[in-house]
Amino acid sequence: MASPSKRRDMDLMKLMMSDYKVETINDETREFFVEFHGPKDSPYQGGVWKVRVELPDAYPYKSPSIGFANKIYHPNVDEISGSVCLDVINQAWSPMFDLVNVFEVFLPQLLMYPNAADPLNGEAAALLMQDRTAFEQRVKGSVFPDFSHPDHMLAFIGTWQTQTCHLKLSVSYPPFRIISCGRGLLQ
Amino acid sequence: MSSNGGSISNNNSGDHSVVRDIPLGDGNPQDIDEDLHSRQLAVYGRETMRRLFASNILVSGMQGLGAEIAKNLVLAGVKSVTVHDEGTVELWDLSSNFIFSEHDVGKNRALASVQKLQDLNNAVVISTLTTKLTKEQLSDFQDNLLRAISMCELPNAALMLWFLLTLIKRKPLSSMITAINHQPTIAFIKAEVRGLFGSVFCDFGPEFTVFDVDGEEPHTGIIASISNDNPALVSCVDDERLEFQDGDLVVFSEIRGMTELNDGKPRKIKNARPYSFTLDEDTSSFGAYDRGGIVTQVKQPKVLNFKPLREALKDPGDFLLSDFSKFDRPPLLHLAFQALDKFIAELGRFPVAGSEDDAQKLISIVGEINEGSGDRKLDDINPKLLRYFAFGARAVLNPMAAMFGGIVGQEVVKACSGKFHPLFQFFYFDSVESLPTEPLEPSDFRPLNCRYDAQISVFGSKLQKKLEDALVFVVGSGALGCEFLKNLALMGVSCNSPGKLTVTDDDVIEKSNLSRQFLFRDWNIGQAKSTVAASAAAVINPQLRIEALQNRVGPETENVFHDSFWENLNVVVNALDNVNARLYVDQRCLYFQKPLLESGTLGAKCNTQMVIPHLTENYGASRDPPEKQAPMCTVHSFPHNIDHCLTWARSEFEGLLEKTPAEVNAFLSNPSEYVSGMRNAGDAQARDNLERVLECLDRERCETFQDCITWARLKFEDYFANRVKQLTYTFPEDAATSTGAPFWKLADAVDKVIVPEFQAKKDVKIVTDEKATSLSTASIDDAAVINELVMQVEQCRTTLESDFRMKPIQFEKDDDTNYHMDMIAGLANMRARNYSIPEVDKLKAKFIAGRIIPAIATSTAMATGLVCLELYKVLAGGHKVEDYRNTFANLALPLFSMAEPVPPKVVKHRDMSWTVWDRWIVKDNPTLRELLKWLSDKGLNAYSISYGSCLLYNSMFPRHRERMDKKVVDLARDVAKVELPPYRHHLDVVVACEDDEDNDIDIPQISIYFR
Repeated sequence: MASPSKRRDMDLMKLMMSDYKVETINDETREFFVEFHGPKDSPYQGGVWKVRVELPDAYPYKSPSIGFANKIYHPNVDEISGSVCLDVINQAWSPMFDLVNVFEVFLPQLLMYPNAADPLNGEAAALLMQDRTAFEQRVKGSVFPDFSHPDHMLAFIGTWQTQTCHLKLSVSYPPFRIISCGRGLLQ
Repeated sequence: MSSNGGSISNNNSGDHSVVRDIPLGDGNPQDIDEDLHSRQLAVYGRETMRRLFASNILVSGMQGLGAEIAKNLVLAGVKSVTVHDEGTVELWDLSSNFIFSEHDVGKNRALASVQKLQDLNNAVVISTLTTKLTKEQLSDFQDNLLRAISMCELPNAALMLWFLLTLIKRKPLSSMITAINHQPTIAFIKAEVRGLFGSVFCDFGPEFTVFDVDGEEPHTGIIASISNDNPALVSCVDDERLEFQDGDLVVFSEIRGMTELNDGKPRKIKNARPYSFTLDEDTSSFGAYDRGGIVTQVKQPKVLNFKPLREALKDPGDFLLSDFSKFDRPPLLHLAFQALDKFIAELGRFPVAGSEDDAQKLISIVGEINEGSGDRKLDDINPKLLRYFAFGARAVLNPMAAMFGGIVGQEVVKACSGKFHPLFQFFYFDSVESLPTEPLEPSDFRPLNCRYDAQISVFGSKLQKKLEDALVFVVGSGALGCEFLKNLALMGVSCNSPGKLTVTDDDVIEKSNLSRQFLFRDWNIGQAKSTVAASAAAVINPQLRIEALQNRVGPETENVFHDSFWENLNVVVNALDNVNARLYVDQRCLYFQKPLLESGTLGAKCNTQMVIPHLTENYGASRDPPEKQAPMCTVHSFPHNIDHCLTWARSEFEGLLEKTPAEVNAFLSNPSEYVSGMRNAGDAQARDNLERVLECLDRERCETFQDCITWARLKFEDYFANRVKQLTYTFPEDAATSTGAPFWKLADAVDKVIVPEFQAKKDVKIVTDEKATSLSTASIDDAAVINELVMQVEQCRTTLESDFRMKPIQFEKDDDTNYHMDMIAGLANMRARNYSIPEVDKLKAKFIAGRIIPAIATSTAMATGLVCLELYKVLAGGHKVEDYRNTFANLALPLFSMAEPVPPKVVKHRDMSWTVWDRWIVKDNPTLRELLKWLSDKGLNAYSISYGSCLLYNSMFPRHRERMDKKVVDLARDVAKVELPPYRHHLDVVVACEDDEDNDIDIPQISIYFR
């Protein structure tokens, strides 16, 4: 196994090679942002999120910590901090996994199949269990459209007032300012 | 626990100074000093500790091993230790006995030990015996509830003592003793260390009951279903794997439907699988399983039938094996130790080191005994090994004494308490690999009339000189550190110019340290660990050249532990208590190519790992999986064990009493900056912070103690009633997940929402917290809310005195008067009650919430002994990897597992090969382009170059192409903001690269020389 610092560089590279947009701050590899698109055939389709990735010192022995920097309505994501309560990341992480797994498999799985049994957002979980259709409507209403595509931008501007999402009006093109989310009390 | 009345005064008369009155338990057992013994309590539990506190021990023989055993027992806090020795202190004893000094030479060993042992723990009664043991004395001891004897005197004396013991065992036992203790026989342990060879024998009596065979917590599982069947199939939820084994007994609780199983009767299980097992019971007539239920393992006592020594010598049974590469040694050593007895009986002395005649004599005795052993006769008696055995037989070496002192100390605890599985019955061990690789001449063994003579008789005077000249760095001065300093002082390490021992620790001494960090006394509490330990070590051996520092070792102290400091060292010994510091020291040792001797303990377990440049892999190359943290959702709303409740309680404590007051102070100290910070962040987190500040300053502000009571009462209602009501409203009892599985795994969690009875004072108005009942705040724009909140907090501020500040409280687990643990235990237990989780007492809560690492003196002593056996190899030099040993041991089982270290991984590329110990050097201050070219000339295409966690170059970032013609050192300065001091001539970068076939090649770190 390569040294931990090398694994960080290698995994970051692999992520970029898999065509993920990565944004670093001052070329720092401990914490950076990755653009993540809602998976097809899920209520999150069409949405784009900025996902904050933190690689701890002990990475890859310790799991990366993953958080949504902009809001997402999902039973397993904390509304305030954006932290993901994802078993495979927090609990079942193994050094054999890498960041491509996180973005190709874990996160899409989480969005395709929200797990109401272990909710971090209790209200979303309850809605999912009581009325799946209503839950999906609610999700669709809160999805951030992909502004990098001009058509989406126009369509969005036409309808944003009726949406219940919390897009900040200060948002300008390119669409996402980086929100530095403090972490919840529990970490 | 003893419960008899009165105290029996000892009526021994005669010239020996026996035993002061040993007061027996009088039905009013003394309380355990939990501050002193908290780490040990975490290993043994209260019951075992009480039994220990009632135990009287006789230690016969006070050379190095006896001193180590007595030390471990006195630290553990037994009731009394009687030390017996008829001999006088010799210079020869000073190689291994930390109690004696040059002044003690000529005094009786037992008498010379009393005061130093007493200093270790005032609660233990220490007494002495200086004449031959008699049957009468032992009988008197027995009346005083003597629980264990450990013996480490001359082997023949052991046999004699054992014989006396068999005589008194025949004496009718007073009913008092049988009533107190079902094991009336005195446990007998014989231990010897002879040079690099050691043996232990245990006889705990014909019928000895072990109450807890491994010391592990009982395993549990949450039930998902039970069939009405014979045998019944029990499935558990798939959150955590079950760890039951076939034949385990389990009990059930909280099952709904099939309530017949809740009767608390232990049941046997079969077909144990990761998530299911079958039950040896016909459940077809039982009620149908509905939901819920917890299954818990029941620990079964085990009865052992020990053979007495004389019988066991003839028929030793299976030996406990410690090293698979030496599987044929124990039977041979069994003969060798008997032969040594015979040799001494015949010649009245030990074999002389270096004397071929004596060695031959011993070998021929082994041969004779072997011829007479019938079926057990060995084909090969390995004369070469026996020769080493003969040469070293007279010497007690400190590392061996430390190791066996730990083992025997633990066996005594087992004999006294029935906790952990005893050693059954013989254990033999050798470390001949510790001998220098070059053959030694008889003249090398010649005594120099100094305190190291015993050690010289085994290793020769050349190695002794190397030990004395060594430059050693001991990192940490806690439990391991104290033991190491004692060992090193006795071995004479760094005891002569230019030798020097540097020890560093940034911690100060606390009361809970005293039960195993034996160089500290209660008057040292509050002082720096390293300083106190260093002066105590210098008392053990005044020649020790030691310097004590109070720096934490880490990137921030590289000005103290600078390059030349590391370059000069011969060896580094880790005595640390956390993985991060270990990893850091590992990186430094890797970089400076220094041997690192690593060890650690956890309760009765210990491990040692040798990191030797170019021979072994480094410490960081293999790792334990990190501790699993409970998922946040579980801790927030769905705890299913007390750990989750305690994690929650800790987090609430921090939020309410530390973070929020600090937040308030941040706002009050600089309102405009704070507010603009929150506005800029503009997110939910900022909003949350502001809401808390407002709560503190407005709605929940306390001006009188009455306000505090009101606040507490409201918090109580919120935590333990309102929030739970809300949760059960959102997720009703019959809620099901999308897969149809019931949402609630623990059935009773829902219907037992307990709103505890609480008599509110009349003038306290109870307001239901609106916020708690409206979980969703999702649809409100943060920015607008933040603006509103800012106005409110500013409004509040105007009503406050300008110097008004809150006092944040930091959690401190070890102060019983500060209410911290009371609050956390209370919060956690009430939450546990909400969810029908079994509650714990404050002590257990402290162990979990305070993350108290269980620790005992025995395993610590053993680990350091094992490491020092390796230190001989490191400082002698010339040893191959096959000579080194890594160890994992668990004294509770007991298990000793020693193995050769793993060699470093070799990477090959073209005609080159390297390991993690190699470093590449690029000189002449290259530019990035030149560095890339240097690599591509080797067929390596670098795609990423970083310094620390900062990317200097990544082929995917277009902006990095502009950096091509910059010097690498300037990039590090500009991008990574590194400041390179004038004495530094190089910097080290990590390069990730591929070969021409796009395979990742793990190349060494590259040192770039820029001056």
